[in-house]
Amino acid sequence: MNDEAFLHLKAFFPQVALTEQEEHHFKSLWSVKTFNQYDLITEAGNVERYFYFVLEGVQAIYILNEKGEKVVLGFSYSGSPSGAFDSFIKKQPSDTFLEALKPSKMVAISFKDYQSLFEKHPDFYAWGHEFFQQILFGRLHREVELLTLSAEQRYKTFMQRCPDELKVIPQKYLASYLNMKPETFSRLRASASY
Amino acid sequence: MASLLLSPENQIQRLNYIINKVKTLQELELSQLTTAPNLKSWNIVEVLEHLNIAYGIYMPRLDEAYTKLPAIDSGPSEFKARWWQKIVIAGQRPKNGVRKWKMKTLKRFEPLLDKQTLTPEKIDTVFETFFTCHAHLKEAILKSRNKDVTQVKIISAIGPIVNFYLPECFEFLLCHMERHMLQIDEILGETDLSF
Repeated sequence: MNDEAFLHLKAFFPQVALTEQEEHHFKSLWSVKTFNQYDLITEAGNVERYFYFVLEGVQAIYILNEKGEKVVLGFSYSGSPSGAFDSFIKKQPSDTFLEALKPSKMVAISFKDYQSLFEKHPDFYAWGHEFFQQILFGRLHREVELLTLSAEQRYKTFMQRCPDELKVIPQKYLASYLNMKPETFSRLRASASY
Repeated sequence: MASLLLSPENQIQRLNYIINKVKTLQELELSQLTTAPNLKSWNIVEVLEHLNIAYGIYMPRLDEAYTKLPAIDSGPSEFKARWWQKIVIAGQRPKNGVRKWKMKTLKRFEPLLDKQTLTPEKIDTVFETFFTCHAHLKEAILKSRNKDVTQVKIISAIGPIVNFYLPECFEFLLCHMERHMLQIDEILGETDLSF
């Protein structure tokens, strides 16, 4: 991992203060993984081996419904965490797929090393508290949007807040995330500019 | 009849489930693996050996198909199974936990294992072959996600009466395996190992 990538990674843990030696050790726990577009980073049915931090690219996390259709649950992108977190923590086969929608570069830490961070440095508990709080609030916010907003409102709200790199992924993934048909998404995109 | 749309992701998920299940079978006692519910039935090791034989026929055909398949940039998509292939696949697919249309196994697919000399080493070999074969199948399904699978057909193990495009072939193999996983459940349910 180069210095710039490490700076991005460190910025993801603002609550954690490490000495130079500790920082060196922390860095050694992460390995760089690269994926081609459409690679499956995590397969449903396999246990998630890593917690990821995204350096480049966009990834979608999705589940297959009874008809075998992809239902997109979320995206990860530069600067965000990624992975099938429930499977990673529970060490059980994942229900979800994680797919690279763009060529992706990520850094990954194993479960054992992730756990060791908490054991060796109590600062990581403060990070964990903040991290899980953000995840929970994000999921609650999304649930409210899905249950209360019209398709057009969901489209508008999403396009206003999502990063630019997400706007160029295949439409079918965005449409699924917003719980609408690709045709509806396409019509809304053609009729509005946000 | 409704159309049958096949996706590599769905197939990978089901294959992972089967591989995980076979890994748990490896933990069973020798007697559970080698006892058949009756004289006419197979035991679990024989079922797995049958699956190894079946996949062994497809493995070189899949490898050959990949030498001819052009790559695509558009990403994975669904594939609509053709009507005759859909019927053949449906013949294998279990429905609501029941194996429909039980059929006699052709001679060349029969697991010719000597039940009297089924040692732990031989059983390990059957399991290892299963995992090797099905890692190959996983790789084949993954590779199909960026290939134009409409360009090459392969002949099925029963001959030219059935040919498959790759997604149809994968679906057939998965349904065949799901059928036999159910058979294994039945063996485990029916085998009385209390003495």
